[in-house]
Amino acid sequence: MELLRPSSVEDLDGGVFLHGGSEVVPLLREGLLEAEQLVDVRGIVPRGVQSGVIGAGTTLAELEVEPSIPDALREACRLAASPQLRNMGSLGGNLLQSTRCWYWRLGYRCRLHGGDRCHARDGEHREHAIFANDFCASAHPSDVAAALVALGARLRTDRRDLAVEELYRLPDEGNRSTTTLEDGELLLEVELPPVDASVYLKAMDRKRWSFPQVGVAAARHADGSPRIALAGVAPIPWRLESVEELDAATPLPRTEWKVAPARALVRRALAQLA
Amino acid sequence: MARLIRTEKEVEGRFEEVWIVVEEDPLEQWPEGPLHVVGRPAPRKDGRERVRGEARYTADLKLPGMLHAAVLRSPHAHAKVSRIDLAPALALPGVRAGIGPGEAHGLEVEAGFSGAAVAAVAADTFAQARAAVEAIEVEWEELEVVLDSDDAVRRELLTAEPRRYERGDVEQALAGADVVVEGTYRTQTVLHNSLETHQALCEWQGDTLHVYISTQYIWGVRQSVAETLGLPEDKVRVVCEYMGGGFGSKNGPDEYTYVAAELARRTGRPVRCALTRREEHTSAGNRNATVQRLRAAARSDGTIVAFDGEFTNSVGWSGWNASTEGPMKMLYDCENVRTVTYGAQLNTPPMKAFRAPGFVEGTFGLECLIDELAARLDVDPLELRRRNYASSNDGTPFSSKNLEECYRRAEPHWERRHEVRSRSDAVWKRGVGMASQIWYGGGGPPSYAWVRLGSDGRATVITAMQDIGTGTRTAMAQIAAEELGIPLEQVDVVLGDSARGPYASISAGSSTLPSMGPAVRAAAADAREQVEDIAAQRGMPAGTPLEEIVAVLEESQILGKGARGPNPTGMSVLTFGVHVVEVAVDVETGEVVVERVAAIHDVGRIVNPLGASSQVEGGIIQGIGHTLSEERLLDPETGRVLTTSLDAYRMPTIADVPEIVCEFVDRPDEHLTNLGSKGLGEPPIVPIAAAIGNAIRDATGADVRELPISREEMLRALREAEERARAKEKHGAPAAV
Repeated sequence: MELLRPSSVEDLDGGVFLHGGSEVVPLLREGLLEAEQLVDVRGIVPRGVQSGVIGAGTTLAELEVEPSIPDALREACRLAASPQLRNMGSLGGNLLQSTRCWYWRLGYRCRLHGGDRCHARDGEHREHAIFANDFCASAHPSDVAAALVALGARLRTDRRDLAVEELYRLPDEGNRSTTTLEDGELLLEVELPPVDASVYLKAMDRKRWSFPQVGVAAARHADGSPRIALAGVAPIPWRLESVEELDAATPLPRTEWKVAPARALVRRALAQLA
Repeated sequence: MARLIRTEKEVEGRFEEVWIVVEEDPLEQWPEGPLHVVGRPAPRKDGRERVRGEARYTADLKLPGMLHAAVLRSPHAHAKVSRIDLAPALALPGVRAGIGPGEAHGLEVEAGFSGAAVAAVAADTFAQARAAVEAIEVEWEELEVVLDSDDAVRRELLTAEPRRYERGDVEQALAGADVVVEGTYRTQTVLHNSLETHQALCEWQGDTLHVYISTQYIWGVRQSVAETLGLPEDKVRVVCEYMGGGFGSKNGPDEYTYVAAELARRTGRPVRCALTRREEHTSAGNRNATVQRLRAAARSDGTIVAFDGEFTNSVGWSGWNASTEGPMKMLYDCENVRTVTYGAQLNTPPMKAFRAPGFVEGTFGLECLIDELAARLDVDPLELRRRNYASSNDGTPFSSKNLEECYRRAEPHWERRHEVRSRSDAVWKRGVGMASQIWYGGGGPPSYAWVRLGSDGRATVITAMQDIGTGTRTAMAQIAAEELGIPLEQVDVVLGDSARGPYASISAGSSTLPSMGPAVRAAAADAREQVEDIAAQRGMPAGTPLEEIVAVLEESQILGKGARGPNPTGMSVLTFGVHVVEVAVDVETGEVVVERVAAIHDVGRIVNPLGASSQVEGGIIQGIGHTLSEERLLDPETGRVLTTSLDAYRMPTIADVPEIVCEFVDRPDEHLTNLGSKGLGEPPIVPIAAAIGNAIRDATGADVRELPISREEMLRALREAEERARAKEKHGAPAAV
């Protein structure tokens, strides 16, 4: 395996991007990711916060104490992972992390791995999705992604601008990816529109270092409308227009329990915005 | 003087009748209460080495020329190897040797669980060994997989005959009772997750095998390895200086030791075989799941008249049928008790002892049932426990029992419940619960120690025991310092090497201090008597400081020798305690927060109050993980472990630790040894789950019956309580206003 350290975005030519390594390294070790070239992008991805624009190389640890960013994002960073992981993990890497579904992590030939069934649907799935779980029942693990979707953030890559929401797609028969990122495309910056207020609430099964069982981000935008996005309830960050939309959830037998905490957290989040 | 006795030996709640040679224990016990050194808080003697990274754990050892082993494990929960070819592995770079089924103890043709060891290789680096293991070609014949314990019991797939017990006439008592409560309680499989994974480093020097191993029982490893390999025991040296946790899972050698020994023999090089964290989760043992179908019956005055319990332990492919029924038989004064305990043999990883095996699970069921009974009888739960206080163990007297004193000291904590409940609001409900603790912990003979005293007035305690992280070095030094009348700083402890001291007991079953402590005191007393003898011969006045007397020794040394005396005959040696727990429950999201735990334990004399508090805190934290968040999950189709990482398997973090208040009755057991101390390793984990469950009921009215009390289980119990309340309202509403 070769490690490259390009000095500019123009020098990029394929390979697997590596920033903090808290996700890529374990995936390589488990054989879930293969790379002939590892590309250390720390030298070319912007880092730091300037007037509403966040470098994708900014660590979660830096963001959790950043006063200029909205509460929802700061809180999502603070409640994610452990201090050690937040010191290493970058904003961009966090948005692109893979599911924690144990079948996927153990290399079962599930739909996300190109197979023809979702093992979680028939097996152990208490941590899995309550929405859009027909094809794949995995739950999206990123607190930060839910916060950015609620905040209406936009992304700049080396090729285009897009809404954070547009970074994600539900996997299907023809395309098993959960993102719209092209091969070799690199996240560079996140741009935050101004919001009046925002909040992130998270249900975990211990007080720290837990992926969201349910994470709820809500933001009140300039037009007065609240925008809600959930982590841990669907294969991608999940938008809700209202708390009533939870009545339309399609939980699996052992994810039914997630609906009540989701409802409670959405209500609490909206109450905090009011 | 030594004598031969027939005695009952207990380890982890398992009894066997054995003949042993014991020495008399003529020393009088010290008076109750703190002494000069014993009974006073002492920081760990090895704390500095540990935090500075200087303490050498098995995982730290590197020997010249050392090779690394990796183990091929079955992906199938039940299968036979029909063909295996190691050649492709042996052809890879760095690979020095490979062994297959039957070539080392523990490598087997039939894999009874996913994770069972099949073959192994040794290579220059661990990465090379892992790659080589992947290259081994295996053809499997898959066999039927049984994963459900009730299914196994129905089909009589059991690890042993069902264990049946009955006293009195349960049927008659049930029929005549005023109140009968019943419930099915379930506990999950949990993992020990020692910080240091299971591992051994083996090296042959001539015909002697040196085994460096992370173990709770140096002498047990020596005996098992010698027996398995057909060596004289003195040709096996076992070393464990520092140890990174075992909790019952490291009581003996396992396949990794035999793999390392055999590969070392074949290569003529030292070989390390260390489990990875994933292997730790699939192959290193676990606390087994249980199903407990329980009934309790009482008269309206609160007298319990019958207990009836059917227990099923999901033992797994191997392991033993732990005493899940133990608390039901022993905790209360009840004339009619009937239990049956099944050990289901399943195609799941093996059960191993885990901190009070059986009693942790059984106490959860029993002590929650007692609170359900208290609610039905409308009797205060503490009062109900007092009314049914057992003054003997079904006729056998206790060597000492101060549970009533524990209850008395629990009162102020229990009184807080009114104030705690009053801090509830619409979302967060608060409540207080309690549970009692009963467990063994008396230790036993044999165990030996030597004390060496030089002319500088320093003493060294020498015994080939292990300190598994519980503060053993410190406690042993305190005992020797007290007996010799010298400061703690002047005592060193040498342990951890079978070639450097006499036989010492296992560090399991809360037995280290009660087994070893008396031997150390006896050795120190022997040395002290010799010193006094010298003083008398020199005509020194009584009370002359030891330093002054031994100053004449020059190169001469005083060598004291001591042995653990027998346990009291015809008595039950048991530990007791009570926990009072305060919880808060978010009734909308199912979050449970343990806010405060008061733990009061009766374990005889406390040697080191600081170390004892640390033990209690550790037990409570581990118990909170067991109660709220930990669970090993299997794929229901294949039987493979799904929670193979510390991210998927959730142990509590420091943020989950509540306020913990520890109290000890600290009264020596007058019948037990020259020390009067019992063990404390296990007692604090025994009652915590039930106390949390009972606090949840107090806070919310919901009956939790399943561990872990995840949000899913909490929300289920809340919904059930709500439906029950609604139904009651409907039926109980007045007909007309």
